[in-house]
Amino acid sequence: MLDIDAIRADFPILGRVLPNGKNLVYFDNAATSQKPQCVIDAMSDFYENYNSNAHRANHTLADEASAALENARSKISNFFGAKPENMIYTSGATEAINLVSYGWAKHNLHNGDVIVITEMEHHADIVPWQELSKEKGVEVRYVPINNETFVLDMEAFEIALEGANLVCVTHTSNVLGIRNPIEDIIRMSKQVDCKVLIDCAQGAPHEKINFETLGADFLAISAHKMAGPTGIGCLLTSKERIQEMGPFMTGGSMIKKVTTDGSTFKDGHAMFETGTPRIAEAIGWGAAVEWLEQFKMEDIHNHVHEIASFAGREMEKIPGIKIFGNPSDKNSSGAVSFLHETIQSQDLALLLDQGGYAVRTGHHCAQPLMDALGVPSTNRASFWIYNTKEEVEGFINHLRYICEKFA
Amino acid sequence: MSSLWPEHLDNIVDEFKDCFDSMERYELLFEYAKKNPKPLPEEEWTEENQILGCQSRAHVICALNDKGRFILRSGADAQIVQGLMSITAIAVNGLKPIEVSMLTPAYIEEMGLKAALSPNRANGFLNMFNRVIQEAKILSET
Repeated sequence: MLDIDAIRADFPILGRVLPNGKNLVYFDNAATSQKPQCVIDAMSDFYENYNSNAHRANHTLADEASAALENARSKISNFFGAKPENMIYTSGATEAINLVSYGWAKHNLHNGDVIVITEMEHHADIVPWQELSKEKGVEVRYVPINNETFVLDMEAFEIALEGANLVCVTHTSNVLGIRNPIEDIIRMSKQVDCKVLIDCAQGAPHEKINFETLGADFLAISAHKMAGPTGIGCLLTSKERIQEMGPFMTGGSMIKKVTTDGSTFKDGHAMFETGTPRIAEAIGWGAAVEWLEQFKMEDIHNHVHEIASFAGREMEKIPGIKIFGNPSDKNSSGAVSFLHETIQSQDLALLLDQGGYAVRTGHHCAQPLMDALGVPSTNRASFWIYNTKEEVEGFINHLRYICEKFA
Repeated sequence: MSSLWPEHLDNIVDEFKDCFDSMERYELLFEYAKKNPKPLPEEEWTEENQILGCQSRAHVICALNDKGRFILRSGADAQIVQGLMSITAIAVNGLKPIEVSMLTPAYIEEMGLKAALSPNRANGFLNMFNRVIQEAKILSET
């Protein structure tokens, strides 16, 4: 059982009063989560006491910064059931997916090979494959969703899998909150010797992700949606896949030797961590992981599910509101997308903001999904560990008031 | 223009200033969305007259009437942008284009709708306002 009051006390921003005098109610967690004080402190401590570049000098601060960077790698990789050498620091899930595209797929896929993605992917898991398709002549197949249940059409997936070389699927939709059957997707893909990438940006804040147990080839993760700082994430992958990869970005840190005749590169994850590392961000993410480890991820999921399903049920009672997704499903995450039939989504978001409610509006970087749903955008309320049923009740009252006054 | 905005806008500015809170202000703005003096019907919305950088659909056409006075015709699918456009049209229509080109969005701020002016907001009113000013500058030189 989570002590939500104690959890909220860890997040200074949750006490924020907005310029219009309203208390902040933060329901934009699928975009980014808020950060607990320990994450803020860990990053400040680095800059105040041992800021230095890592791996590059023989002095005390550099030694401390290097140790902290690698200590964070150990903590984070362990949290995800992986070894430190399986983890490549990136700027986030987007860069992790691009790293698979430019670092692995470019060297291992060829003209006529097939990549399977889905209609519900974030642009970060669509555009890199479209670009690769232009460059290498690979075919990109899109698995549709069922427009009534909003779940992935697994029969279509099975058909698309025929002759496929790489499957790239989101763990959880950032729009619908739908959690995909990734275990089945990985198993079916492995049966036909197809490599698998899972975009865990939305899944990692809501359930325990275990790299070894899942058995996917690549997991892309962002820190900032799981209490960590922005600007950092990782790609988790196996030793075998790393050995098949070539450099993505080149420059300092990743080289063995550079001469005027050419360069040789380091082995393992070091080949892909070019330039000055994001040291403060890595340390902050390590602190976030430590903070999360005091809870069971299952308890976080259950708490968020309770709030999201309550929100979904109450929102559906308001005339004119349509929900996209199934917040009542026990596997759904905390994202609840909705629209009002006459109040335009941008207007609705601004009116919700007047009550202090921060929700997201737009295509959510998922335009193919918007096309499949037949809408240009949605409003989205997304919940996390520190949100309360009382906040949702206030939100429902404000939403009902807006719908009565402005429809 | 005697001040930051045309005098005939004073009553509207006061109407908004008298609102009890921001929700009442937006309610009033929704009313103004229905009172656009020169609406641009959806069938005239084109790529050419679309306001870029606006997540809602917004379109403007600026022209001069036979007396050389400025005429703004506008349309948007979002009521907040539509309301701001209506008020802007009330402000600028009938002015000389040179007068329009010197207008600032100060009246929006005075009305308590500052949030609509943030360039970070996706509603794009500021893009629409800047487009009107640019077109007024061009028309004043013709």
